[in-house]
Amino acid sequence: MTELENRILAEAQRLLSENLADVVIAFKQADTPLRPQPAFFTDAEAVNDLVYNGLCQNNLANYLTRYPREKKIAMVVRGCESRSVNALVLENQHPRENLYLIGIPCEGIVDWRKIVEAVGEDVLSVQDQADIVVVRTPKGEFTLDRAALMHGSCLRCTQKNPLGTDVTIGKPVAEQDPHLLRERVKNFEALGIQTRYEYFRQESERCIRCYACREACPMCYCEECFVDHTGPRWTESGVTPAGMQGWHIIRAFHQTGRCTSCGACERACPMDIHMTYLTDKLNTDMYDKYQFVAGLDAKTQTPFAAFNLDDKNRFVAGGTSK
Amino acid sequence: MDTAKKIVLFQCQWCLYAPEDQDWVDHHLPENVHLTKVPCTGRLDPLFILNAVQGGADGVMISGCVPEKCHFKEGNLSARRQMDEFSDFLNYVGYDEDRICFTWLDLQDRGRIQKDVAEFSKKVEALGKSHALNTRSVLPQGGAHD
Repeated sequence: MTELENRILAEAQRLLSENLADVVIAFKQADTPLRPQPAFFTDAEAVNDLVYNGLCQNNLANYLTRYPREKKIAMVVRGCESRSVNALVLENQHPRENLYLIGIPCEGIVDWRKIVEAVGEDVLSVQDQADIVVVRTPKGEFTLDRAALMHGSCLRCTQKNPLGTDVTIGKPVAEQDPHLLRERVKNFEALGIQTRYEYFRQESERCIRCYACREACPMCYCEECFVDHTGPRWTESGVTPAGMQGWHIIRAFHQTGRCTSCGACERACPMDIHMTYLTDKLNTDMYDKYQFVAGLDAKTQTPFAAFNLDDKNRFVAGGTSK
Repeated sequence: MDTAKKIVLFQCQWCLYAPEDQDWVDHHLPENVHLTKVPCTGRLDPLFILNAVQGGADGVMISGCVPEKCHFKEGNLSARRQMDEFSDFLNYVGYDEDRICFTWLDLQDRGRIQKDVAEFSKKVEALGKSHALNTRSVLPQGGAHD
């Protein structure tokens, strides 16, 4: 166990034994060595199997909405998760006073797919160390460079240090250039409209409509999703081109001004569909048009929930667009 | 053969003040324009636009009241932010944003809707048939969607 894990564990035990929290949401080691699983500790004795490393890939804020509002929840949060929590508190999903956030400055999440690509699917154990990742397989031990294994969303991350936490464990890390996100959107926009559509068509074509992206997303907490709604049926629900494309467009659009670019949707996707490029576009647009960044605090309303007479007006002039 | 491009018109039911304009929209629209009346532009969900686009619309036109004149005070303001962003987003995905057009009508804009529809039709005609996102499966005879 690393020193960081020990300190998280001690904090979790303290919270549970002093009754400051009803449940501590963190990670524990699962049978799948590449993917520790979310764990919900309610007993101070049971916390011992808590783990924390770069392979912890879920966005834990996802589980916030699954508890009643009066439950006191303690949660391990990284930068993106703390922003998701802020966005959820803003949307009245849980009162902030019933939350206890254990902040951890994040070194970036290791993409399990890149490990599989490098060493194959048969993995016995993974050790995440400062700059290297040591992977043990039946074929032998591999030492991989951690920087090369980082998940795409983490490479473009703008908020590695958690915001508004109750306690922060570990040393703050240096933030990255916030323009990395914009650069990706600009590069994609430069491709030309036909290439863009072709890319989108090919990506969405692989979709099997399992909705893992929805389940992994902390902001997708609707009781009934628009794709599950059958009367009226808003969109084709089969694995048809219109259904798959409609799902990806509207799923992303529902995240406008709410997405924190954690990339949990992409990591959860069994078909490895790239979809964060859609939400990245919406995030940069929200910043360019309304100077809004989701989840920086729990007070500023999202642009779509507020409106202003002085908005840029592309409707009136000449009667046609722009 | 009908070669006119398909246009979908989303029309706020409050924004046409002159009975003649309303009558024209209700009864005399060109054949290639499909009318959907909505109680307010604020009622428009991005899904409506997407449904039109996926169903083969070569152009989508949205007509509503000017910002201060909304029948419901601020329905059109929330629509403005959403639709503006949604057309940008569709453009990013691959559906030309020139094919989405907004017109906001004021009290004195009598006879304007006819001009705007004609102008937009001409523009869409010049852009040609749209292929992006035009993916809706054809309904089986007498059957429902899966």
